Amino acid sequence: MSQSRVVAAVEIGTSKIAVLLGEIIGDAGLNIIGHCVGTSKGVKKGEITDLDKASDCVHAAILKAEENAKTRVDEVYLAQTGRHLIGDFNVGSANISSADGIVRRADIDAAKEDAKRRTLPRDRTYIHHIQNPFTLDGRPVDNPLSKEGRQLQVGYWSVHGDSESVSDSLRVIRGIDLDVSDMIISSIASGVVLLEESEKENGALVIDMGGGTTDYVLYRKGFIVKTGVIPVGGDHITNDLSIGLRVARKSAEEFKIKNGRAYYESEDRDAKVWLFGDMTIGDREYPLAAITKIIEARVAEVFDIIKEQLVAAEMFEPSDIASGVVLTGGSSQLTGIEEAAHRRFGLDARVSEGPKDVAEELRMPEYSTTLGLLHYALTGQEESQQEAKPSGILRRLTGLFN
Amino acid sequence: MDTTSDILFDQETAQADLKIKIVGVGGAGTNAVVGLKLDNLGDVRLAAINTDAQALNQSPLAEKLVIGRSVTRGLGAGGEVEIGRAAAESDRDAISRLVGDADLIIIVVGLGGGTGSSAAAVVAEVAAKTNALVLAFATLPFSFEGARRKRIAEESVGELRQLVHGLIPLPNDVLLQEGDEDTSVLNAFAVADRWIGRGVNSLCAMLLKTGLINQDFSSLRSVFQYRGGKTIFGTGTATGGDYVKDALEELFICPLLHLGDRPAQLDRILVNIIGGADLGIAKVNEIMTQVTQRFGSREDIVFGAVIDESRSQSIELCILGKAEIGLPVNSEKLVVPEAKHKRIATPGLGLETVIGQDTRAPRPVHTSKLRQKKLPDESQDEFTFVDNEDQRGYFDKTDRNDYNDEDLDVPTFMRRGIKIKIK
Repeated sequence: MSQSRVVAAVEIGTSKIAVLLGEIIGDAGLNIIGHCVGTSKGVKKGEITDLDKASDCVHAAILKAEENAKTRVDEVYLAQTGRHLIGDFNVGSANISSADGIVRRADIDAAKEDAKRRTLPRDRTYIHHIQNPFTLDGRPVDNPLSKEGRQLQVGYWSVHGDSESVSDSLRVIRGIDLDVSDMIISSIASGVVLLEESEKENGALVIDMGGGTTDYVLYRKGFIVKTGVIPVGGDHITNDLSIGLRVARKSAEEFKIKNGRAYYESEDRDAKVWLFGDMTIGDREYPLAAITKIIEARVAEVFDIIKEQLVAAEMFEPSDIASGVVLTGGSSQLTGIEEAAHRRFGLDARVSEGPKDVAEELRMPEYSTTLGLLHYALTGQEESQQEAKPSGILRRLTGLFN
Repeated sequence: MDTTSDILFDQETAQADLKIKIVGVGGAGTNAVVGLKLDNLGDVRLAAINTDAQALNQSPLAEKLVIGRSVTRGLGAGGEVEIGRAAAESDRDAISRLVGDADLIIIVVGLGGGTGSSAAAVVAEVAAKTNALVLAFATLPFSFEGARRKRIAEESVGELRQLVHGLIPLPNDVLLQEGDEDTSVLNAFAVADRWIGRGVNSLCAMLLKTGLINQDFSSLRSVFQYRGGKTIFGTGTATGGDYVKDALEELFICPLLHLGDRPAQLDRILVNIIGGADLGIAKVNEIMTQVTQRFGSREDIVFGAVIDESRSQSIELCILGKAEIGLPVNSEKLVVPEAKHKRIATPGLGLETVIGQDTRAPRPVHTSKLRQKKLPDESQDEFTFVDNEDQRGYFDKTDRNDYNDEDLDVPTFMRRGIKIKIK
């Protein structure tokens, strides 16, 4: 058997902890050998609020996945979310140094270096530098090497986070003597497995609505041009219902799942739904309109905030987002969420059915982020060994998932 | 005093001597007091204090005081807190005369504007120098009325809460959720006044009418031994049918009572039941059991029940609760009120807290175990918009979730003023 290592992809979510174990065999490919979705405690709005509780839950989930796979984990890829994450667009440039104006490797490196030069305050840590296309004298070029020009520019979407929040999540993993090989923000990890290459090319907005946060990533012309985290998720919908209907959190959660819809319709006006529906003491009827209006207000607000942020970044050009909105995450199971997204963005919207090529049980939205992490675990390694590979990696990767 | 109330008064308990004064401060406060429909309550005097002479002239109240003529020439404060404060300061003596020698002073105020927001604190300060128990009903502005009003109200709540024995906030955002879907925002202001009316009526009825289970002024006082802390208020009424069940249901969904996910945090609760001759001990017991289950341990609850002959097949419940979060832990169960009040005097507000020289011993109200637990940071509780925070529910213990000056953890429908009808 060739050299292999076992990678755990871990997402510490607000309501769930997802763990996928992948066995990476040399540089040949990857097998998914174990998985577990555990409950999460001590996490609110995507950030760890109780380190002990969160650690216990994460450890339990990793151990279960290890049992499931009958092997031990060698390294961990960790997803990051939370409102502390901030993305910036940085452009670096380099004047072509050679007399003949031909771009050399040194010029490319210089432009890249220039883009990453911006230093952060001490309490911030970089998580990602995502490279966007090069431009040579203003013209976009895929690979500038050996082309002729005077000035080379490259843009990076750089995401940084609060050092303390990031180190909290690292500490959770280190608590069981495991090393974190890399961190990837949740939205990027989800986007990479949920979109076809053609969709990224045509432009698409991936919205991952979880329990505590809503993460999004916008692809235009095949590149990531904007990411963001809104610290609002399904927990907020439940809380709004609990306050608005004056019912316990548990009942509010039930209303959301059983009767909730992401938008209000006039026919809801006269409809009634039962609190428990079992005719026991305390059971009573609530107007459906109250439920759908409360949810509509919250969902619309989240979408509006995302749209506002895209507009502010001058990235909201419907013609450049031809593949529309792709929804994922636990809260995407809310009835009518695609219609709500369509109404707010004026774009086509669909709920992702999960990556097509993986086993049925891994197509659930719970696993899309961790699948993306494994993708990075594999491609990150390949990139270092044999330079950036053209698209098709995803095809190979997902093909192995079955 | 009419004959009906004469019959109802139990002279032996000297309750009839109890002087209650309800003071409306500022425009909204005055309107609320004018709108009070007090049923047959005897010696309850209504008064109003405002900077706007014209508005005050039009009100039918017997006792009216225009403050700050030298500052505003009888015109309003124009939403300026500083003008309101200067007006109130300039007429401290007149306010003191108006407050007089009442045993219970109820301040009614709408916060967020100029006069009410600043003068209420001066009235409370003056009232605190008397022996009276001082309670305040304060309406808070809608979120959509803007950040400035909200900030003003926020500061006033913080200040007022330290000066009175009990501050009952009525967030307009919450009140808007009441009533019909078509109710306009203006009508929602009237809804706020109605809630104040119900609260005041229930309080006064409890104190002035003879009970099946009698509650008197000293038991009210024992619930409000300390200044500061959070006060919670709720009422429920029902007539006909299974009126006990219906009234309880209404009480539990009372918008002012929403406690998020922590209903057990009340330290002291006073429950008053007003019913007709058919209100038997069995019904009272049923109510007591349910309320106890809902709001905390049995020993922390004080009950009162009043029979009103005119209320056959009908019932009104009123609960007043106090969560003494952030107050100094006191191991003694019973302390003379005066001593306690001195201990919690708030420096910096220039307040001399000589209050509570009630010669009757307060009724025993047990100190809950809650207060022996770790108390949250006191300073944090004082000047935040506590009442908006109550609407954060599950996110209560987390940082504000700011976006464009709004706290995203507060339900969207409330911040947008979307009316939710749940009945």
